[in-house]
Amino acid sequence: MDDTVLYPARRVITMNRAAPFAEAVAVREGRVLAVGTLDELLSWGPSRIDERFADKILVPGFIEAHSHVMSGGAWQLPYVGYFDRRDPRGRVWKGCSSIDEVIERLIEIESTIDDPDELLLAWGLDPIYFSGERLLAKHLDRVSATRRIFVYHANGHLGTVNTAMLEASEITARSTSPGVARDADGRPNGELQESAMALATTAFAKMMTGWGSAEAKWNYAYEARNAGHTLITDLGTTPLAAPGQAEAWRTAVEDPAYPARVMVAAGTGLGGPVDPVALAEVAQRLQGESSDKLYFGIVKMVLDGSIQGFTARVSWPYYYRPPEGHHGNGLWLIAPEQIKDMVGIFHAAGLTIHAHCNGDQATEVFVDAVEAALEDHPRWDHRHTVQHCQMTTPAQYRRMAALGMCANIFSNHIFYWGDQHRDRSIGPERAAKMDACATALHEGVSFSIHSDAPVTPMGHLHTMWCAVNRLTSTGQVLGPDERISVHDALHAATIGAAFQLKLDHIIGSIEVGKFADFAVLHDDPLTVDPVALKDIAVWGTMVGGVAFEAGVAPA
Amino acid sequence: MNPPDRPNDIAVTVLGGYLGAGKTTLVNHILRSASERIVVLVNDFGSVNIDDALIVAADDDKITLANGCICCSLVDGLAAALEQVRRLDPPPARLVIEASGVSDPASIAAYGHDRGLRLDGVVTVVDAETVRARARDRYVGDTVIRQIVAADLLVINKVDLVSPGDLAEVRAWLAVVSHDRPMLEAVQGEVELTALLGIDPKPQGDAPTGPQNADEIFTTWSFTTAEPFNRESLQAVLTSWPADVVRVKGIVRVAGPPGQSDGRVIVHRVGTRLTLTDAGPWTGALSNLVAIGLRATMDPTALDNSARSTIAVSSPSRSHSRPRSDSTNDHAPPLSRS
Repeated sequence: MDDTVLYPARRVITMNRAAPFAEAVAVREGRVLAVGTLDELLSWGPSRIDERFADKILVPGFIEAHSHVMSGGAWQLPYVGYFDRRDPRGRVWKGCSSIDEVIERLIEIESTIDDPDELLLAWGLDPIYFSGERLLAKHLDRVSATRRIFVYHANGHLGTVNTAMLEASEITARSTSPGVARDADGRPNGELQESAMALATTAFAKMMTGWGSAEAKWNYAYEARNAGHTLITDLGTTPLAAPGQAEAWRTAVEDPAYPARVMVAAGTGLGGPVDPVALAEVAQRLQGESSDKLYFGIVKMVLDGSIQGFTARVSWPYYYRPPEGHHGNGLWLIAPEQIKDMVGIFHAAGLTIHAHCNGDQATEVFVDAVEAALEDHPRWDHRHTVQHCQMTTPAQYRRMAALGMCANIFSNHIFYWGDQHRDRSIGPERAAKMDACATALHEGVSFSIHSDAPVTPMGHLHTMWCAVNRLTSTGQVLGPDERISVHDALHAATIGAAFQLKLDHIIGSIEVGKFADFAVLHDDPLTVDPVALKDIAVWGTMVGGVAFEAGVAPA
Repeated sequence: MNPPDRPNDIAVTVLGGYLGAGKTTLVNHILRSASERIVVLVNDFGSVNIDDALIVAADDDKITLANGCICCSLVDGLAAALEQVRRLDPPPARLVIEASGVSDPASIAAYGHDRGLRLDGVVTVVDAETVRARARDRYVGDTVIRQIVAADLLVINKVDLVSPGDLAEVRAWLAVVSHDRPMLEAVQGEVELTALLGIDPKPQGDAPTGPQNADEIFTTWSFTTAEPFNRESLQAVLTSWPADVVRVKGIVRVAGPPGQSDGRVIVHRVGTRLTLTDAGPWTGALSNLVAIGLRATMDPTALDNSARSTIAVSSPSRSHSRPRSDSTNDHAPPLSRS
C-alpha cells in the first residue's frame, strides 16, 4: 500500500485540538499522512483522490472499551427481539412486538430443521415491551412438543425453555436451584433466571461453544463495522490462559478482511477461583505478542453484581425499594481483601486494571486498593479504570483524578434501566446522579462511555446520545445536570476510550502518524439536533486505510 | 412440608464462612479423616493440602484419595461440578460444597434440594479471633452476618488463639446473631466428623482424626422402639429440641393412616434443620433414633421422655433407651474414640 490516497469529505472531525476540522485526509501505508485542505494534502507529492466519502462525515473510529465477544456469538442464533435489528452480515431482522409474533417466527424456523434432536435456540427476547406478558413454556410448546427450545432474553439474565427442554434437563417441581420460576402450582413455568439457565445444560453448552467460535469473532467485528467502531474489546470473556484461545483470536483478527482492531483482556472471571500471579503472567506474556491489530495486556476484574438485579454493592442507605426478602446490600464477587491483593499483584506487574464496579461501594474498594498499590509500588500513568462506574460519587471522582485513574461510564443504562433505577433500585436522587459524565469531566477524570454489548447493543452514536440527552426509555430526562455536550461525548467515544486502553498515541483521533481508522457517517454529529444523534446513519468504517462498508455480507 | 421421597440421594453439606476463617483447613481435615466416600467441591483448589501418600491420582482440577474421597475444583462453576458428581459411579455418600469466602451459603444450599441430592445442612466456619471485627466492617459486615445466619451449625475455629473470656464473648455474640445455632469449637479445623457431617471418622492408627478430647465434649443418645411414631408429633418434638443436640439421625416407623401400613421415615436433623424423608412402607423391627450432643448440657432423660411422647400407640414397656450407644446397628453410628 505504497500509494497515497486523499479522501475529501463533507467534513473531517479530527478530535485533535490543534486542527479540529478539515476538508480531507491523506492516507499512506494505513496511516494518516496529513489532514487539512485538499491543497495542503496535494503538497505531499504524488497521490490519487478517492471521492467516495466526499458527501460523508469522517470522525475518528469509535472505540468500544467495554464489550464482549458474546455479542457476535448471539447472531449465530435467530433473533426474536422487539426492535428491528440488522445482523452483522447485514440481514434486517424484523422486531417481534408480541408473544404471538415470537411464536410465529419460531414456528417458521422450526419447520426448516430436519433433525428432531437438534435444539432450537433464539435470542434477544425483550418481554419488557409486551405489556407485562411473559414468555413461558406453555407458549413455546406451541412451537414444538418434542424439540427442545431455549430462548435467551435480551438482558442476558433470563432464558425461557419449553416443556421438552424442561423434561430433558430434568427440571421438575422438585428442582430447587435458585432461579427456576414456577407457576401457581409450583411447577417450573419455563423461565430460568440467572445461573438457573445453566440447568438447561444442552442449550447452555451450545451457546457457550457458539460464543467462543471463530464465527462469533467475525460477527463481532461486522457488528462493530456496522456501528462505526474500529476497535472493540473483549473484556474478560475469553479464558486467555487456556491453550489456543489467544491463537484463535490471532487467526481471526490478523486476517486482512477482519474489519476491526481488538483488545482482549485477561479476566478473573465471575468470582470463580483464580490465581492472580498466573493470570498476570499470562497477560504480560501476551502483551509482548500484541500486534497493530490485536492487543493484550489489560486485566479485567468483576467486583460486584448489577444495580437492577440488586446485587451491586452500594453505600448507605443501600437500595431504595428492593424486592421482598432482599438482604439489604448486594454481593461481592471477590472479597475486598482479595481485591486489594489482586490489584497489588496486577499493578506491580505493570498491567492496567479494568474493574467492574456498578455500585459506589465497589468503586470505593477499588479506589482504596489502587491507592494502597500505589503506596507500595509507585507507578506513573497506570490508567487503572473503574468500569461501569455507575454510582461513583463526586468525592470518588476527585480521588480517581488524584490517583490518575480513568472511568468508563455505562451511559446506555440511562435509557435501558433509568426508569427502574429511579423508581425501584436506588431512587430519584441517586438515579439522577448515576453515570455522571458531567461530574467526571468537571473533576478532571479521563473517561469513556460504553455499551457492555451484548448487555445493550453496541453503537457509540446511541451511547453518545444517552450521555448527551439522558433520556430514559419512557422519554424522561434523568439527571439533566449530568448531560454533556456532543463534542465531549464524541471525545469520550474516541480519544477518551483510546487513552484508557493506552492506545491514544496510535488511535482515537485523526492525526498525522496515527492509524487511518475512521467512522464514516452520513450526517454530522456536531450539527444535527442532539436528540437525533442516535439516528445518524453509519456508512461503515475505515480500519488502517481499508474501507469496510456496513451491512455487506462477506465474500 | 414433607420432603420428597428420595432416600438414596447424596447428602450435601454446604461449607460457608468468610475468607480466612479456616474452610480450606477444615476441608483438608475432612478429606484426611473421612471413613466414607466424600466428594468435596472447593473454590481454592490450589490450597488444598493433602499428604502425597494419601493421593492416588491428581490433575489440574481433581484429586482422588486412597480412601475414595475426591476433591474437585469449582473452576467451571457449580452447575457443571454437580453434574459431574451425579455421574460418579458408584455415587458418593456425601458431598461437601465449599462456598467462596464472600458468597451466601444459603443461596448455594438451595442447590442441595435438586435431583439426586439431599441438603444435609449449612456449616459456617468463623474465625474466633476476627469474626466480630469482620461483622462490623462496613464493606463485608453484612456478608459475614449473612453467612452466620445461614448456618445450621457453626464451627468456631482458631479457639486456641483467643482467651477463654474472649471465646465466651464470641459464643454469646454468635448465639444472638445466629438465633442459637449449635456451635462446635475447633483448632486447625479439627472437628469431630460425627458431629459435623454425621459420619464416622476413619479408624486410623495413631493419627488424630478429631479433637483429642472429643469424648469429653460430645455424648451420644439413642432410642429404640418397636412401636410406630406419630409423624406429626415426632416432627414437632424433634424441631423443638435445643441447640445442644447437634445432630439427630434415625430410621423410624411411623403410623400409617387407618387401614394402611406403617411407613418408613428417615430422620436427619443438623443443628436446627430437620428433614423427614418418607422411604416407603415399614419393614424393619425396631425404630432407632440417635443424637449427638454436647456432653455438658444435653439431657438424655429429657430426650427419652420427649421421644416417647411421640409414639403413636403408647407402649413404654416395648421401648427402651440407652444412654450410650455401642450398638452394631448400621444406622446408629457410635461416637468415635480417637
